[in-house]
Amino acid sequence: MTVRFFATIRTYTGETERRFDDAPATLRELLTALAARYGTLFRRAAFAGADLNPEIIILVNGRNVLYLRGLDTALSRDDEVSIFPMVAGG
Amino acid sequence: MAKVLMIHPDKCTGCHNCELACSFEHEGQFRPAASRVQAYTWEREGMTVPMMCQQCDDAACVKVCPTGAMHRSVTRANLVDWDERVCIRCKMCTVACPFGNARYDAASSSIFKCDTCQGAPECVTFCPNGALEFVDDEQQVRSRKKAYAAKFKDAFQEVS
Amino acid sequence: MFGWTGTTLRVDLTKGTVTREATDIGLAHTYLGARGMGGKIILDEVAPDTDALSPANKIVFSPGPLTGTFAPSAGRFEVVTKAPLNNVIAGSNSGGAFGPELKYAGYDALIIEGKAAKPVYLWIKNDEVEIRDAGAIWGHTTPDTTDLVRAETDEDAKVACIGPGGEHLSPIATVMNEMHRAAGRSGVGAVMGSKNLKAIAVFGTGAVTVADPERFKTAVMKARKMIQEHPVGGTGLKAYGTDVLVNILNQTGALPTRNYQDGYFPTADKIGGESLAAKQLVRPKGCFSCIISCGRVTKVDNPAYAGFGEGPEYETAWSFGADCGIDDLDAITKANFLCNEYGLDTISLGSTIACAMELFERGIITAKDTDGVQLTFGNVAAMVEMTRKAGEGEGFGAKLAQGSYRLAESYGHPEYSMTCKKQEMPAYDPRGVQGIGLNYATGNRGGCHVRGYTIAIEVLQNGAVMDPRITEGKAGLDITFQNLTAALDSAGACLFSTFGIGAPELAEMLSAVTGVEYSVDEFMKIGERIWNQERLWNLTQGYTTADDTLPERLLKDPIKTGPAKGEVNRLGEMLPEYYQLRGWDDKGVPSKAKLKELSLN
Repeated sequence: MTVRFFATIRTYTGETERRFDDAPATLRELLTALAARYGTLFRRAAFAGADLNPEIIILVNGRNVLYLRGLDTALSRDDEVSIFPMVAGG
Repeated sequence: MAKVLMIHPDKCTGCHNCELACSFEHEGQFRPAASRVQAYTWEREGMTVPMMCQQCDDAACVKVCPTGAMHRSVTRANLVDWDERVCIRCKMCTVACPFGNARYDAASSSIFKCDTCQGAPECVTFCPNGALEFVDDEQQVRSRKKAYAAKFKDAFQEVS
Repeated sequence: MFGWTGTTLRVDLTKGTVTREATDIGLAHTYLGARGMGGKIILDEVAPDTDALSPANKIVFSPGPLTGTFAPSAGRFEVVTKAPLNNVIAGSNSGGAFGPELKYAGYDALIIEGKAAKPVYLWIKNDEVEIRDAGAIWGHTTPDTTDLVRAETDEDAKVACIGPGGEHLSPIATVMNEMHRAAGRSGVGAVMGSKNLKAIAVFGTGAVTVADPERFKTAVMKARKMIQEHPVGGTGLKAYGTDVLVNILNQTGALPTRNYQDGYFPTADKIGGESLAAKQLVRPKGCFSCIISCGRVTKVDNPAYAGFGEGPEYETAWSFGADCGIDDLDAITKANFLCNEYGLDTISLGSTIACAMELFERGIITAKDTDGVQLTFGNVAAMVEMTRKAGEGEGFGAKLAQGSYRLAESYGHPEYSMTCKKQEMPAYDPRGVQGIGLNYATGNRGGCHVRGYTIAIEVLQNGAVMDPRITEGKAGLDITFQNLTAALDSAGACLFSTFGIGAPELAEMLSAVTGVEYSVDEFMKIGERIWNQERLWNLTQGYTTADDTLPERLLKDPIKTGPAKGEVNRLGEMLPEYYQLRGWDDKGVPSKAKLKELSLN
């Protein structure tokens, strides 16, 4: 499983991506593990209390997790997870 | 202890909010030509620099003023004040200031120069980028000096 | 008058006359300014069968009532005219400082008519207006034009001008202001070129006044705070620029690749905002009164593509990047600089080069057509060289400068032109994001994202969320965005202020400035009226429901790779509801009842 980081998320993690041989079971477990690894700034970006921070955008294989099962979205080893802060343009 | 209106041109994005805030505060309308702060843009270099009165301790405008209209304020620290009641509009202050920070406005028959808005400069409030800072004289260059100190810190941390 | 100046300037280049008129107060109240006011002037004063490049066309430069105040990021203006590209009412929006300067000089609108016998420029210093000889300036790039005009007028004059692109009457020519800002789409630069008008220099020392200063300042402080606390309006755009969109669109599977043959570009990260910030970015830049500063001052050191200027924006990084199969950000930035200098639309030109690349790879054109250049996807040097040739109007470049529709049609294959109503679609693949497809198809000026930026909800989670893959609810979403944007454009505000504020804050600031009470409903109605008015004009130009469509490729050919593999756009599920919600018949014609409701009959 590959997790990709973008924009300011990269400044919190210091890297552009991380690979996992085995996937954590759910998105919640993944984000908790990443927060443990990368620290407070990442945790604050990802979580608002126990919920997903509304200002983070997470795609699993291109699908926003808000249309999957949010933090309970199941993950598998072939998945690609992309993590963005809210960004914009035109 | 006195406050200094510090300029950080490296943070200026050329938005002119300072000019708008200044003219609105002093004139009640949006007329950048009347602003006491002027931000100049060089498009080919993509850089803008705001300029306003630096409240010189030993001010040329005060020296040449025949009536004392331009004077160091006795009520407020670090301010060159303009007393319009005794000003004869000779414009010698505008001739004397080497920075061009005082100008004569014919329409209103006034000398335009920064007065720091009674100690709460509007340009500082409206600058979205921190390019203008109203800061205690002791901390005047802290942000800049510290930013560079941080680079040395990082460099030394890597090696030691 | 408050907000508005009360004066409109009319210049007849044929007769060489300058007339000051009182701004029509009713017009101002109803259409605000910029897009709305300019559009109404074109509708009333230009006969529908007028050739866009003839002296009978008119071109309007108009700021809005908010322009020139410190309403946050509200310093914009529009260039409005009959479009050389596709005959619609072109309303091309730009920032910089030109719009506010027009207000300080005393004008709500500058209407230019006729044609000068020889190249001229306009010099407007408050109420002194001169038409001056531009013989020595014609032919120069936009930065050089700006310097030359300033040398003869005022070193701080704000200059809007055309480059060789507009002089060559390219239907994708821009008007540039402050050297790096573009009124980009629909060929507005060619209208200036057709009038022999090289530049407009403005210097204003007057004021914009406000009806209720206290109410306005309170509304502005509130709006500023909302934008500054928004992750996008407050920090994201300043840090990364619009180019930050590359990766999120790609990871969504909707980054059009190789002339929309695919929707995923594996090396997209090399051309995104993160890379730009690390490599080419010198510092951020803000337009007049802006608190967002999305502009990028940039520099390329690589000697092959060396240059200095502003940009690229997302759309440009896409059009010369993924759309051409290119991931070299130095070269893309150089192409962007060239477009600014020559005065050509980066979206349209990049997409046209991509179209040419597809024609080349399919053998429809060969090296004999392309001046010996191997114009294949991924050929970086060819992309830059063709951009330069398009600017010069040289060889195959002259054909590219006609835009992809005319190019592809000339070779018998218009289906490879990725356009709606002949205007190139921008950087969002409608097969991966359904709602933006409806916006492209129904857009009054053709392929366009800004006038109905549903991406904010479908991809960017800005305030609300809607699944990009579904069609339910998209008709209503598109209509809301289209109406709001038309009103916002006409007030002089920047679209990006909607990363923070919305109709309530805009209506409040507008009311406080002008002294005319605008409720949220009235504000949205203004937008709806403008949208319908633009639609009515299009009907006179022969546009029908058949033109409210997307290229076949997007309706029939699924995306080949990436997260949106297998998707097509399902326009048919959205269009009927769109017409119905708009109060139009099933042919897309506004009903009598709707026109009466909007006072458009």
